[in-house]
Formats: sequence, structure tokens, C-alpha cells
Amino acid sequence: MKKVTIYALSTCLWCKKSKIYFEEHKIPFVSVDYDKQAADRQREMMEEMRGAGCTGSFPFIKIGSACVQGYDPEEFEKLLDKK
Amino acid sequence: MNIKARKEALRFLFAPVADRLGYKFTPVEEDADFLLEQEAQIEAETGIPYCPCQARTTDRGENMKMVCPCIPFHREHYNAMRRCWCGLFVHKDVTDPGKLRQIPESRI
Repeated sequence: MKKVTIYALSTCLWCKKSKIYFEEHKIPFVSVDYDKQAADRQREMMEEMRGAGCTGSFPFIKIGSACVQGYDPEEFEKLLDKK
Repeated sequence: MNIKARKEALRFLFAPVADRLGYKFTPVEEDADFLLEQEAQIEAETGIPYCPCQARTTDRGENMKMVCPCIPFHREHYNAMRRCWCGLFVHKDVTDPGKLRQIPESRI
């Protein structure tokens, strides 16, 4: 099974819905709340997101080697199924 | 700061601004309530009701583009989605926001 990492904000509704999506589909994931991290970890996360062509909008979800910005179940399914 | 009272104050303050921009609060009341409460909390901590779904950095100029309602700074992007990023506001003619997708700016 592909590794799923969710970069989230503790205040973000769509981050919450994304976590519920993966829980309901019994897909294990790691979640990191950007707003709870120290400044240098935040910089690292932001550089990674920008490096993937994304802005500072959350959620930012890594599924295997691919990434999705925003709550997009259709895209999640596509990436989870892709061999 | 009384977060619940401030949440209702933000609702009152934002409504006419969003209206003039062609937007309204999401009809999903549970989501609107959650998001407004998060903003009241963020305002209590930072002094400004920033968007609850966008990250603030040390760049104050960029942070200003996330002050709610942030619609004017993201017009094209939000008009394409017919909602704002956090979903607190939707276009006035939207009746089922559940069908609206959250599309990153890079894919507009």
C-alpha cells in the first residue's frame, strides 16, 4: 500500500475532511499540522510544497511519490489505484 | 475574547462584503460555523481573522492576501471554483456546494 502523508492546518476544514476520508477508507496515513510545527520545520514543509508547484494552501497530501493540493477524493482514488 | 460572540460578529461583518463581491456564506451551516469559529480563534491569537486553510509565513505582504474575506486577492482562482479556498464563501447561485471541487491555483 502506498504511503500517505497529509500536511494540514489544525484550523482547516478540508484537512479534517481529508483525514476522515482516509480513515473511512481504512488507509493508514501520517498527518503533520503545519501550524503546530517549529519555524524551521514550517520552512522545510513550505519549500517542499512550493517545490511541488503548490502554494501555501492546505491540505497538501502526498500519496506515494505524487501529491495533491486540496480535498479531492477523485484524485485520491486515482493516485491510490495507480500502479 | 468571547470566541462564540466574535464568531457571530465576523459573520455580521463579512456578509455585506461578500455580497458585494458576488458571494454568500456556504449553505452548509455546519461548515460555515466551524470555519467562522476557527477564524475567531485565529483572530484572538494573531489579531487578524486569517483564512483557516492557508498557511501564514514570515512574509507579511503574502499574509495580507489571506485575510478573510480574501476573495479580491484570488478572484480568478475562486471564480473558477465558484467558492473560496476554505469554502466559507460560495458564488451566490450555488445551492449544492458539496459538488464544488477544491482546485489548486496551479491547475486553473
